[in-house]
Amino acid sequence: MPETTFLIQTLVSGVGTGFIYGLIGIGFCVIYNASGIVNFAQGVFVMLGGMITHALLTRAGLPLPLAALVAVVAVALIGVVIERAVVRPLWRRNATMFVMILATLAAQIVIERLTLLAAGDQPKTLPGFSDAAPLRIGGIAIGVQLLWIAGVSLLLVGALALFFARTRTGRAMRACAINREAAALMGIPVARMLGFSFALSAGLGAVAGILITPTQYTAFNVGVPFAISGFIAAILGGFGSALGAFAGGIMLGVAQALAIVLFGAGFKNVAALSILLLFLLARPAGLFGKAH
Amino acid sequence: MAPVLSVEGLSARYGSVEALHPADLALGHGELVAVLGPNGAGKSTLLRAIMGLTPGSGRVRFEGTELPRDDPRAVTMRGVVLVPEGRGIFGPMTVRENLDLGAYLLPGRGGEFAARLEQVFALFPRLKDRQSQLAGSLSGGEQQMLAIGRALMAAPRLLLLDEPSLGLAPRLAAEILETLGRLNRAGLAILLVEQRAPLALKLARRAYLLAVGRIVAEVTPDQIASPHDLARYYFAA
Repeated sequence: MPETTFLIQTLVSGVGTGFIYGLIGIGFCVIYNASGIVNFAQGVFVMLGGMITHALLTRAGLPLPLAALVAVVAVALIGVVIERAVVRPLWRRNATMFVMILATLAAQIVIERLTLLAAGDQPKTLPGFSDAAPLRIGGIAIGVQLLWIAGVSLLLVGALALFFARTRTGRAMRACAINREAAALMGIPVARMLGFSFALSAGLGAVAGILITPTQYTAFNVGVPFAISGFIAAILGGFGSALGAFAGGIMLGVAQALAIVLFGAGFKNVAALSILLLFLLARPAGLFGKAH
Repeated sequence: MAPVLSVEGLSARYGSVEALHPADLALGHGELVAVLGPNGAGKSTLLRAIMGLTPGSGRVRFEGTELPRDDPRAVTMRGVVLVPEGRGIFGPMTVRENLDLGAYLLPGRGGEFAARLEQVFALFPRLKDRQSQLAGSLSGGEQQMLAIGRALMAAPRLLLLDEPSLGLAPRLAAEILETLGRLNRAGLAILLVEQRAPLALKLARRAYLLAVGRIVAEVTPDQIASPHDLARYYFAA
């Protein structure tokens, strides 16, 4: 049995990873709410966030904050391109969910392969956002990058909540999610809202990718595992609830961390999929979702 | 002067089924015209086709200019606003948020917005008291008031209503229709689809009768003295 300090240390790092899963899960929800589409290209946004920042940092010599900002904007634009080129034509002809999932998966693979050609197959990492020593509470060390992850994630979740509650565009996106036809009858540009949801979701994914890369690494093929974790987070949260996805992400991160400590690294994915099955069987509406 | 609304040979189909056979109708300035008919006659399809929500062919002119056939947003922007069947309110949002979205096309939240909001609250004082309540928690009558109020926030020059009395108690239905009468007397042109013919005929100057997807007659209220008169037209179709 691991000692308590080690267990708490593990939980802390699980929460950190969980924030990232939560952000990716919210990305899934933002698009799903605006359109009913499950976008399986979500993982490429995370991968591109880290990869583009790395390229701008090492090849163009931009300082990290500027490189990160440019990367987020670039990935948001790539999100819009995917929406225009792949999703909107299918959406207009009322393609089924199955077709949409296949199409976005195909987009994911295309972008992944293009990244491989452009940047090679070697893993890359980013420096930590600040050099300060880890925060020590009792015997627990909390890395500064984890504080950055927590701070930025919470800030983004708060900003998103305000955006959807207070702004004209945020409300219009919620209206599209509730009743697309009624929204169009109010004069809301429903298709433009879909494009906006892809930009927002891609930007969120990029931020998640930039935040996590200093603690791990990034490579052309990290997108799919991140997308799966974000997807599970969104399901745990009741698919559609942004707050639920965030909480689901934290739950998933903690469950994976505990599984690694208690049973070994090989059980990371077993834990993730077990918790998914458990929710699908016992609470399909998720943490905050209403049963339907 | 061109009529407010002029519909020529408008048809609509769901897949291979022609739900509305080519229909002609017109609505003058400040007129309230009813469209009556039994269930499944094609009344909602007619309104949906005018708005461009249901594919079909034919021409729809508003104030002399042709409306697009496949862009409901553009139709709304021109001043033709539909209160849809089933009300289409945003249930998980508050009453106020619903009303705000009604004025989506209005830039800013200045004087004009405030004036429209005041107008809606004057017509439906209950909405003012329930501004922060979730729209889905309102009673059926209040939801219909909200649906109409939200449409008015868009400052329509022609209001289309799809069975506003559906599912309401008779007294409440009469109250809603009386409000529509007041709006019409203030100059708003209204095309009212209703199944409760007696209520609609109290307000309308003319009515089109629809049966099995066709306009079968154009009548004035004095031609419909009893439900038998309506049945006669429907069965003749």
